[in-house]
Amino acid sequence: MTPELNDTIAGWENSPASTDWTIDELMIARLADCFVDGDQACNGMASFIPVSAFDLARHTHAPELVWLAGALGLEPRPTKVPASTLEAPLWRDAVMYMEQYGDFWNYALNGRWLQKFCVGAAQLDKFGNANNSVIGGTYHQPKVRLPGTAGMGDMGSIGKQLYYWNPNHNPRALVDKVDFVSCAGYLGGGDERASLGLEGGPQLVITNLAVLDFHPESRHLRIESVHPGVSVDDVQAATGFELLLPDGEVPTTPIPTEAQVSRIRTFDPDEMRKREFRSR
Amino acid sequence: MQDKLTTLEAAVREHVHDGDVVALQNMATQAAPMATVREIIRQEKRDLGLVVLVGGIAVDWLAAAGCLNRLIGAAVSMEQFGLCQRYRAAVESQQIRVEELSETALNSRLGAAARNLPFLPTRGLIGTDLIDVASDNLVVIDDPFEGIPVVACRRLDPDVALVHAHRADRFGNVQIEPTAQWPDLGIMPKAARKVIVTAEEIVDTDVLRRNPDRTVLPGFIVNAVVEVPYGAHPTSFNPNYGYDSTMHLEWVGAARDDAATEKFMQDHIYGPADQAAYLDSTGGAERLISVIGWEK
Repeated sequence: MTPELNDTIAGWENSPASTDWTIDELMIARLADCFVDGDQACNGMASFIPVSAFDLARHTHAPELVWLAGALGLEPRPTKVPASTLEAPLWRDAVMYMEQYGDFWNYALNGRWLQKFCVGAAQLDKFGNANNSVIGGTYHQPKVRLPGTAGMGDMGSIGKQLYYWNPNHNPRALVDKVDFVSCAGYLGGGDERASLGLEGGPQLVITNLAVLDFHPESRHLRIESVHPGVSVDDVQAATGFELLLPDGEVPTTPIPTEAQVSRIRTFDPDEMRKREFRSR
Repeated sequence: MQDKLTTLEAAVREHVHDGDVVALQNMATQAAPMATVREIIRQEKRDLGLVVLVGGIAVDWLAAAGCLNRLIGAAVSMEQFGLCQRYRAAVESQQIRVEELSETALNSRLGAAARNLPFLPTRGLIGTDLIDVASDNLVVIDDPFEGIPVVACRRLDPDVALVHAHRADRFGNVQIEPTAQWPDLGIMPKAARKVIVTAEEIVDTDVLRRNPDRTVLPGFIVNAVVEVPYGAHPTSFNPNYGYDSTMHLEWVGAARDDAATEKFMQDHIYGPADQAAYLDSTGGAERLISVIGWEK
């Protein structure tokens, strides 16, 4: 590990639960848990929650987590989270600029590195397929033209473990079936994804209400935990299809610790992470 | 070496034609050859097909001006400034047809053209609906050797690639400072039939010789080279300058209605006679220096 780059916060393991945490911080702490030493993480556009999660992991349990800011700036030292997660201030002081065409995709495609990827999308369905292309109408005459697939059209099909985040859990965002598959999840569920030879796939969905995982056989979305103060009924009412439930009592998502909250606020003093929430 | 130094007016008149497929350097708020884009708008080019990895304000201006009838790319977004609303409206009303590709599919299509191959394969896209809606250019094929199917991505030969660089010599040898590099430089100019380069400064070839490792394009593939200071404004051109938030926000406001859009385009695109006049229309170089430095 490189102490100069990722100073671990002293005593982070025994830090007490925060008493003034906010939902963005809970989501970031939960996402940070998914990234461990030995992983390499990259971020794309409008990814304030992922970049804060990578930073948090790097300062607590995963000091050796490698970060490729904007999918190009290796091990950067931004002074804070800037207004864009795809602009130069984020990759300040990078060790390397990874050229996109000739370099980045070689590492991302070969199945050895960058095996986890965070996906934000307008629509996500019960089998973890994501849509960032079109809503309504037909593909060439849509009701709403969304930005487009960008990297997710690749990342869903090349063996990555996908972690979705969505700060606006509602029935239009979590739907029975996406209008268009811009990112391959478990497709029609069951073994359909595997039958196409696709490895990896969606692992978790972290929203402002709950953490969802996928049933290991049906690959249908299931509640893993609900956030403090949120009921299963609340989550179900905000979802456009019936979620599966875990065996036994539904756990509550852990509250972030004081150390976690402190690091998140230090790294993001301008609260860019809150921009992703439609209302707060 | 052949002298390629010219004016933007002449470069666009000679090398960009109605109906062309135009490859544009751009990544959301970064590094678009905006001066060239404005010249294309002023010359009222029509029915262009735009190739872009992630297009930003350039796409919206071209759409607003009625220059585009198709777009081939991975995404269009101005990042924190939101969706490109004029582009979006043009797509939703079927004035622009979108062929949306994943990043590796776009890279493969351009890479095939650069290497004179009929296609290159990718493992991206399998399982998505993107293959069905672009079936003229994307076909799932069996691996002829072993293993799983791949997507054959048909070669895409842009008629012209538009590039902005930190410096170039009059022969079109192009240098960039250490910065983010997208397929703009990595593959687009090599796939395209012609290349128009704008550069922050035109320098003596001897200047390039000091750092040959920073030369990214050889002059022999370049057709025209033009000196345009702040040529990427209002997008960023790191490390020289950041994106201009004020102008992005002004555009986002103007794009909401036709009259304001028309006024914006008159003030900043049709009106200014040259780059100096354009920069004046944005509040002048002094303001640029004060507002578009790197965020500290």
